[in-house]
Amino acid sequence: MVVVAVTGKGGTGKTVISALLIHFISKRGLNLLAVDADPDSNLPDALGVADEVTKTLGEIREVFQVSRDEMGTTDKEQWLEGKIYGEAICECDNFDLLVMGRPEGEGCYCYTNNLLKGVLRKLMRHYDVVVIDSEAGLEHFSRGTISGADYIIVVTDMSQKGLATAKRIKELSKELNLKFKDIFLIGNRITNSEAEEVIKRFADEEGLKLLELLPYDEKIAELDLRGEPVINLPEDSEYTRKVKNIVDVLINLVEAAV
Amino acid sequence: MVERKKIEIPEGVKKKESVGEEAEFPFDISPMYEGERVRKGDMHVELGGTSQPGFELVIALPEEQVEDMKVTLVGPDLDEMEEGKAYPYAMIYYVAGEQVDNDLEPVIERRNHDFQNYLEGYMHLNQRYDIWIRISKGSVKKGLNSLTQIAKATMMLFKNEMPFIEKIEAVYITDAELVDKLLKEVAMPIYEERDARVEALHDEDVEEFYSCTLCQSFAPTNVCVISPDRPSLCGAITWFDGRAAARVDPEGPNKAIPRGDLIDPIGGEYSGVNEFAKEESGGEYDRIKLHSFFEYPHTSCGCFEVIGFYMPEVDGIGWVHRGYAEPAPNGLTFSTMAGQTGGGKQIIGFLGVGISYFRSKKFIQADGGWYRTVWMPKELKERIAKYIPDDVRDKIATEEDAKTLDELREFLKKVEHPVVTGVVRPVDGKKITEGWKEEEEVEEVVEEAVEAPAAQPQAVQPVQPVQPAMQPMQPMPAQPFQFQLPMPQFQLPAGQPAGIKLIIKDAKIIIDKVIVKSEKEKKGGK
Repeated sequence: MVVVAVTGKGGTGKTVISALLIHFISKRGLNLLAVDADPDSNLPDALGVADEVTKTLGEIREVFQVSRDEMGTTDKEQWLEGKIYGEAICECDNFDLLVMGRPEGEGCYCYTNNLLKGVLRKLMRHYDVVVIDSEAGLEHFSRGTISGADYIIVVTDMSQKGLATAKRIKELSKELNLKFKDIFLIGNRITNSEAEEVIKRFADEEGLKLLELLPYDEKIAELDLRGEPVINLPEDSEYTRKVKNIVDVLINLVEAAV
Repeated sequence: MVERKKIEIPEGVKKKESVGEEAEFPFDISPMYEGERVRKGDMHVELGGTSQPGFELVIALPEEQVEDMKVTLVGPDLDEMEEGKAYPYAMIYYVAGEQVDNDLEPVIERRNHDFQNYLEGYMHLNQRYDIWIRISKGSVKKGLNSLTQIAKATMMLFKNEMPFIEKIEAVYITDAELVDKLLKEVAMPIYEERDARVEALHDEDVEEFYSCTLCQSFAPTNVCVISPDRPSLCGAITWFDGRAAARVDPEGPNKAIPRGDLIDPIGGEYSGVNEFAKEESGGEYDRIKLHSFFEYPHTSCGCFEVIGFYMPEVDGIGWVHRGYAEPAPNGLTFSTMAGQTGGGKQIIGFLGVGISYFRSKKFIQADGGWYRTVWMPKELKERIAKYIPDDVRDKIATEEDAKTLDELREFLKKVEHPVVTGVVRPVDGKKITEGWKEEEEVEEVVEEAVEAPAAQPQAVQPVQPVQPAMQPMQPMPAQPFQFQLPMPQFQLPAGQPAGIKLIIKDAKIIIDKVIVKSEKEKKGGK
């Protein structure tokens, strides 16, 4: 199992990239779990499977918080596992999808999160690759519900804010002791060579491996506007070709791990 | 108690029997398969689940009634099932052994989930009457063709992993009618009996309690002690959860605490708990009374669902839950009190508990339990109303009856709450508080205290302790209005003619009035 977390400042296009990675990796026959760990994002929409998602892990966690007093001798871990396997995991054609959903409410989640951690760890290890679309705060990692990531891909656009967030994520990943093997950078919507230089230099200075510089693609904005999934992007576009390069790199890493 | 016996298999239904250990299985068996999901597309058949009835049940029987390693399958077998369909499924195990009794049934039954998930290509979810199984196409291709193979493998794991099981026999049923009938007539009554037994289980009935140190990251000296009568203060973990977790991971956050000798049956003090507390808290404290509010109370991490707070003005205890944002009658909100209560220290006057502790028969029994409780928000009170004894339920105020101490005092007087005349704790019939003194009497006490401060260094009243925790373990005073600051705050050394020296250490005090009088007139009389 290889866990890849895709993260970055909101609006940099990390969900588009996550969706395309999930789409192409799963089409190559790898057994893949997609995790939407950003309450603000819409990974299921980007993947075109929003209708298939019925429940989020967050909703199940809330049901658990209020009903646990009445559970008697029911095994709570088994209860959570049954709910997650039965209701939260969405079986799409080529991959499974888990939406983490709403953040925690009030009260103590220590025990719940500890149980979730166990359930998710056992679940994840059966996939060849787990791709997590995570918000920049890496909340599920800091809460420990997701134990760690082998590779972190930080997505940035041409803005200084995007780079500043990338830097913060790098520091946070170290602090959280995610035990990652490598941390990568992707530049997204890069329209000029000056920006290319800035991002290359940034990657060098920060010790991030630059995976790819993706262009601005009008088609993506169009799909978005029409509410169509981004995986409908034409296969022959420059954007798609470059994303497929990233897919190759990741698949090599997955195969090396087996 | 529901009679334990073998189930009756009606005449004429399709039946298959097999006895003895299987030499080999057409599937791998290993804990590494735990958590493996059989996807819908890879599924040969589904058993139980949302569309079909199903259950699993362990029944302890006398040794001579159990035929070891025998499987009886009633109904169609795997190779007679149609691909992609769902079928009813019951798994019944008869177990026997010198140490096997009815109390162990649920413990053994719980492991069916673990062991069956060790089987490659076999997914087992949920428990009791909720079970949901998927068998993969891959396993069928590899040669799995009978549920008797599943039963044999599971029984083998039971015997290997739980050696106290000396004999085990299985009856698997896929016949819809029989599954339905046995679920209603045999399984449900046994599940219900088990739940009833949980309610009746008390601290003294068990040998071990369980710890929880999940929250030590932010309250390093906190140790939650979870006993049958005291669930964790976050509300999440019962004694049964603790036991299950400790068996799976004995060195994990829920460890077994041998309870040791009973030191104080009323406060709930055990030698084993004390030793454990001393060790785990790094020596911060060495005594815990599980059911006491004032004396060596349980520590609070910060996760508590409810805070109990002592109000000396009425000599009663109020409870406020996390969801109640208004100030309690003592003028403090949940979050303000939470700051003082949490952190893993023994704070006299504040106690964090879980909502399920209100169900406990031993609910702060050392300090009068419900008869010392004077206030709680309406929402909380309604939630747990059925656990409050009838004769005091209406005497406990909510925010509708009282929002301030004055209103509370009036209310308690009106309804004749036990704190007004003195609380008799039900556990041993001992009168533990004196009740309120008449107000005039209190005035007198004040006068004396003020007039002779040198002779009897004492606090000036009325004092409202915001944090009545300045000297832990001091028994709480019985009368209201006379709350003594337990530290020597006023030092009036004799022989110093002019001026007084006032030393106050580590105290938060609200004082309405301080009267300092000259001592000259009295000097001569000394």
